[in-house]
Order: sequence, then structure tokens, then C-alpha cells
Amino acid sequence: MNRRVLLISAVSAALVSGCARKAAPVKINPLENAYATETDWNNPDHVIPLNYRQAEGKRIFYEQCVWCHADQTPAGPSNRSNVTPAPPLWNDGKTLNPLADAYLEKFTAEGGSAMGQSPMMPPYGRTLTRSEIQAVIAYARAIADPPYNSPATSVQKK
Amino acid sequence: MDVGAAVVNGSNSRGFLARLRLLFFGDPARRFAWVSLLLTLSLAVSPLKDFFRQWRGYQRQYASYIKSRPDAKALRSRMEPGIHQIWLPRLGVVDRCTTCHLGINEPTLAGASVPEPFRAHPAIPHNPESWGCTVCHRGQGPATKVEEAHEITDSWEQPILPGRFIQASCGTCHYNDLAQAPRLDRGRRLLARLDCTGCHKIAGIARPAMLAPDLTDIGTKVSREWIYKWLKEPRTITDANGNQTVDGVDVGEPRMPTFRLTDAELRDLSAYLSVQRVHPVQPYPFDPRVVAALAKRPDLADQGEARFRQMFCSTCHSLAVTRAGETTLIGGDIGPELTKVGSKVNPDWLVDWLRNPQQYLPNSQMPRYEWSDKDLYEVTQYMERRLTDPSLLADVPHLAPPTEAEIDAGRKLFTDKGCASCHAIQGIPAQKDFGPDLSTIGARNVSQLDFGPAKIPRTLTSYLEAKVSNPLSVNPAGRMPQYHLDKASLTDVTTALLSLTGPPPTLGMEKLMVVQSAAEFHPAGEFGKLYEQYKCYACHKFNGFGGTLAPDLSYEGSRARRAWMIQFMLNPQTVRPTLIFRMPQFNMSKQEATIIADYLKMVMQSPIVDPGVDRKQFTPAMAAAGKELYEKKYACQSCHTIGSAGGYVGPSLSSAGNWLTPGWIEAWLRNPQALVPGTIEPRRNFTSEEIQDLTAYILSLKQGSAPAESTAGAGAAASSSAGGSK
Repeated sequence: MNRRVLLISAVSAALVSGCARKAAPVKINPLENAYATETDWNNPDHVIPLNYRQAEGKRIFYEQCVWCHADQTPAGPSNRSNVTPAPPLWNDGKTLNPLADAYLEKFTAEGGSAMGQSPMMPPYGRTLTRSEIQAVIAYARAIADPPYNSPATSVQKK
Repeated sequence: MDVGAAVVNGSNSRGFLARLRLLFFGDPARRFAWVSLLLTLSLAVSPLKDFFRQWRGYQRQYASYIKSRPDAKALRSRMEPGIHQIWLPRLGVVDRCTTCHLGINEPTLAGASVPEPFRAHPAIPHNPESWGCTVCHRGQGPATKVEEAHEITDSWEQPILPGRFIQASCGTCHYNDLAQAPRLDRGRRLLARLDCTGCHKIAGIARPAMLAPDLTDIGTKVSREWIYKWLKEPRTITDANGNQTVDGVDVGEPRMPTFRLTDAELRDLSAYLSVQRVHPVQPYPFDPRVVAALAKRPDLADQGEARFRQMFCSTCHSLAVTRAGETTLIGGDIGPELTKVGSKVNPDWLVDWLRNPQQYLPNSQMPRYEWSDKDLYEVTQYMERRLTDPSLLADVPHLAPPTEAEIDAGRKLFTDKGCASCHAIQGIPAQKDFGPDLSTIGARNVSQLDFGPAKIPRTLTSYLEAKVSNPLSVNPAGRMPQYHLDKASLTDVTTALLSLTGPPPTLGMEKLMVVQSAAEFHPAGEFGKLYEQYKCYACHKFNGFGGTLAPDLSYEGSRARRAWMIQFMLNPQTVRPTLIFRMPQFNMSKQEATIIADYLKMVMQSPIVDPGVDRKQFTPAMAAAGKELYEKKYACQSCHTIGSAGGYVGPSLSSAGNWLTPGWIEAWLRNPQALVPGTIEPRRNFTSEEIQDLTAYILSLKQGSAPAESTAGAGAAASSSAGGSK
């Protein structure tokens, strides 16, 4: 009498387990994903996949920030050497990782003077939207060297 | 109990069956009990089936998954069992995707570590609650089974769009350029650049006045042998992959595709084209004194090369440079690359062309320079002597003078192959719609596609990729020529094609379309003539029309002072320290420069710039206060140079007082993006007084010879004519 129930449960167990299977890690083809990846600034062989938000941050970074926060720019020499003190490279995990997202967001939006730091960092709060600034920070987290561990992940580990 | 004993004792099957019958139906009570049990079981099938539905499985998985999350309680409280549905009648959306994709709106479930289908949707300008899912992702919204929702079924032909093409969906509503969708933008640019509109109707991409060169006089320009070679493989400089790279940036490829012509076809077509000489070229009578003085000089070609560089030919044309075994093109991609042009064109034609390109090709983007005989002779001699490749035509077979039969066959081939779709030629009307209309290609059902012999997945995306990368793979008898796109370009073009879904399905969506801003700007009069002669719009934008290489001049009349503009056109110099300077020196007369400056001054004005701001109101005291603000409070020198110090993100302000108008500086300081959308100068929160002081300071910055009209604000100018922060 249990055979039918057994059959149904066996089939559905198979179904459920079938659905539960984990997707294989996606291979990244750098050409294919030119917009959705960034090559590690310190290691040309390491291609970092970017999610939508990070990729959006990359786009904005290369428009607005690259001139002072990188040593190479798409248009040639970087302006970083003209700014004192030298602004942190955007992949500088040592400097940026300890700073909270909220702090970086405020710094970017209100500029260096408002945070008691160099006035050479202008405020971007009236140029970029809040979500654009957050995207640029998400991009910094993605390319950080040493890598960035978000507070959320550390909570999980506890 | 006796039954149990009977079973144990049963030794043969017949006895066993009889006992079984006795067991089930031995007496009415037993009979009734068993039938009731069966009935109950059969009634249980329905709730059980419901219990084991696929989506319920996912919901149970989700419920157990979120227990492992730090915010389990909050997630649990927001989770509602049952079928979820986003119903947006105005958009025609009925999407049940969130029945299984339960974490879509849970920001804490973002990131690759969260398993699908529970991951949060990235924060995008369109949240799933108000737009639904299938508007962008396609698929069958109302379905509640994984396969039906995602894949092609008997009754549904629009499967989920693979993630790498997702930007196509942005393009179904956003007909304008969209910075957030770079792949779509590049794909659309490639569709235009590769002249797909020559044969196909493509919504949103207009057919330009000239797609490819007019061939009416091609016989005066190049030899039959060169035509043969070009038609066989229309690229002379490519890298190992057959791509053309300009300044390290892949620009797609030469616009002319490969037509897979046989030797006989090449002979016929080259014969036909080589006799196209409606307007014969007369050798230009150079001043004999110039030729006599220059012809014997050993450095003639060097002089020509220097002149070639000084005239900024490379702004539009590139030359191949081989470094460390790698060949790349350096220069612009507005005009054709010229590496081997000396082995290509007839010398008399070249002189004629440079003197007046618009006479040979009325719609060419090539400006008509004002040449001296000396410059013209030097530059053409340089091109004929240095930009050559003696082995360019080595692999072309010997071609006898064209015969009538060859010419006739060539003329027929010209239309058979669709050449007249892009090229004008005398005696053959332009071919329109030679290829199919692509206006709705992105919404095509799979059952409408002919995959031919191709062994590829039966989906629209794989069909498009196959068709674009190798047209013969899906249709061995197809007429479409062969393009050589790299993998990224192929994805970009496919994305752009997938965005062509035709008119929106519902009225609600139609109202949401972001229509394309079509712009034309063709001024008349004296300025109009010069505008066409120097092709200002090949690089500059005017009221939304024109190129993107150089600054937008729509508000130039508000920005620059008249005297500065005239000076600049006569002797262009960059105001941006690190920019590769590209403005050619056209050798225009002062009168021409004045006409252009007057027109820009009068017409190309911004409504938010006050033209009446008087320079006299800015006192040296204000300039001094402005200097303080510039250097200390706002540290403008981090991006702008004055003299030799400062940063080079923004333009040099060394002689901003000669260059900019006071009204422009004020408006710019208030809101730079209002004048130049997308400029990277951050918008600050200056007070009105600060704006006045900074304007006074910037106006006081003057370097070198001041233009004649600068008499106003002399006091301020005197205060810091040297300009510069230390």
C-alpha cells in the first residue's frame, strides 16, 4: 500500500534534489566580458569578475576618478603625481579596506575638506548620485589588493 | 492471526492467491475497509501532487537556506508562502518568477555566494516590483515550472535571454545612447559603422548620405590590379586575428566586408570598375619654380612627412607602426588608413583629391585645406615615396586590358552582389533593401528561423551569432558578405540586434519609450560654406549633430571670446596639457576665421550664460580673494594648470582671461554639467560671492600676447599677468 506513496516521494525527492544541484563555477572569458571584468592592477593574469554594481562602478571610475586614483589612465599619464598628498590608488586595500562603506561614501560626496582631509579631493555629492558613489566604492572593494572582506562575511564566520 | 499462519504456510502460488483474495475480500467488512482505504489514497493524490510542486520545493529550500543567514528572522518574517505574482496591467506583465526567486528584493542576499534562485537582484534603476522580470529577461512570466518559465516550449518561443546579452533589453525602450549599457552602445555603433544599413532596414540607424565611396570615377583613382586585390580581401593592414586596431583600440574592422568572389568574378568586376572614368583627372600644373626648387632635394620626403604631421592628417587617418613584431595603427579612424596609399592611388588623382576632396566625393568628411604649391608638392611626394609597399600587388594575377565581355559581366555582378547598396556608380540605380528588414529581428520566434545545416542550439541568440560571424553556416547560398568580428564585437552586435524588437507590445510601454534625438545642423550662408569646406562637424558637435572627437561647439559663442576664437583657428593650440592635440591647421584666411567666429558668437549660445556680464565689475581685490579660494579652500590646482604648476585633468587656465567670457565662467562655476553634460568637473556648492571672486581671478589670468579687444578688466589683468601658483 505504501508503494505509490513511496514512488511519489522518490520521484519528488529526485526532482527536488535535481533542483538543488549547484551550478558549476562560470569560466570568465576576458574578451567576452570586457565590461563585466577588471584585470587585477597588480597581476595581469588575474581577471576579476564584476557584478552589475561593480561594473557600473568601474564605468564611473574610469570617467571621473581614474585621473587621480590610478597611475595609468586611458588618456595617458595620471594626474596622481600632481596632487599632494598623493591620493590612494583605488585598489589599495591596505588603505581602503579598513574604511567603512559609509565613511567612503561621505568622503566622496562631501569632499576632503568636509572630512578634515586634503581639499584636493573635491566633493562629488552634487555630480554623482548616491547610488553611483556606492557603485564606485563597490568597485574598489572588488579590485582591492589585499582582498576586501565585507563585514557581512565576517559576521557569518563568527 | 489465522491469516498470518495461512501466509506462512502457503507453499504454492495458487494457494497464495486464494488466500490473498480471502484476505482482501473475505467478508463484506474487509471488502469495505479496503475500498475505503483505496478511495482515501486516491483522494490524497491531489494534495500530494500540490505538495510536491517544483516551486514548493524551492520555497522549502529557501526557508531552510535562510536559517543559515545572520538575519534569518527578518528574512523569515518577509517570506510569504504560495505563488507570488507581479502584475502590471499597464505593461502587460504577469510575472510569477518571484515564486522561486525569493530573495530578489533582499539586499542581504546579494553576491555570488548566495545560491540561485535565491540571490538578490542587483540594484538597478528599474526595480523588479515596478517593472516585472520578463520585460528585461524575457521568458514566460506566468509559468510556474522551471522549464516552462525559462526555455522554449511548444507554446512559448521567447526563452530567457542569456545574461551576456541582457543590455539588449535596455535598448528595446532606450533608443538613445545609454552609458549604463556600454555593450549595447558599442553594438549599435558597430551596426552603423559597418554599414549594415546599406542592405538592411534597421530602426534607429539612419542611412547616411554616403555609405561607401562613390565609384563613378574609380578608374581615375586606382588600377584594375588594385581593385582585384581589394575585392578579394579588402584589408591591407590587420593583426594576426584579421582585426584592425587603431591606437590599441579595436575599431571593429575595415568597413568593406569580404564577398567571397571567384577569380572570374574578380576579373569581371575589376574590369568593369577600372573603366569608370566619367571625369578624367588632369595633372595639376605645379608652379615650375616650386618643383625645380624641391624636386632634387634629398630631404623632400622628410619635409613632406613633417608637413603631413603638422597638418594633423593623423587626426583622421592612421598609419601602421610595427613595434616588437606587432603591427598597430596609430592615428584616427574617421578616414581610411594610409599606410600603403602610395602604392594604391594614381599620383595625379591624389593631388586633385587633396586640392578639393568634395569635388570627387561630395559627401566626404575630408576637409578642403588651403594649400600652397610647396606644401602640396611636399606632402604628395612624401605619400608617393614613403607610404608604399612594393609587394602590395604581388599576388594579383596578370590582368590584360578589360574586354567588353568582362565589363558587361562585371556590371551585372555589381547589382547581383548588391554593390549598389552602398556604392553609387553611374548608370546603376541605388539598391535599397537588398537584405531583409531587421526592424524586429530581436523578437523573432525560433520557428521562423532557418538554421540550415548549422549544428547549433535552436535559439535566436545562437542563430544571430552564427549568421553574423559566418553567414554561410546557416545559409550556404546566402548573399551576405563575410565580416571578421572578434568575440566581444560579435556579442556587442548581437546585443544590438536583439534590442530590435519592433514597436512595444502594449500601449503602456509605448509611453515609456525614450525616443532617439535625431539632429541635423546644416547652416546656410557664408558660415555654411566654410562649415562644409572644413567639415567642422566631422569632429565637433553642433546642437547635437556631428562628431565626438572634439569639443561640442553648441555653446561656443557663450564660452570663448571672439578674438581668441579667431586666433585659435589661425593657429590652433591646445588648452589641455595632456590631450593628444588633433585640430588641424587648415591654413584658413583671417577673413574666414572671422566669419566662423562671428557666427559662433552670434548663434551658438547657451541660454543660461549671461552675455552681458561686464568685465569691469571684477576688481583686483576680488581677484585676490578668488586666488585665495582657488589655491587654499578649493585647491583647484589639483586638476588645473596655471603657468607650469598644477594638475592636468582640466584645461590649463594660464590664459583663461583671454579665452573665456565672464558670463561663461560664472555659469560654469554654478553648474558645469548644465553647460556640458557629462563633464567631469565636479559641481561645487560655491556661494554667489565666491563665484564672483573666482571669476575675477580666472579673468585675471593672461599669458602671452593678449588679443586686441581685451581692454576691459585691465586692472585685474595687471595684477597677475604672469599667472600662476607657485
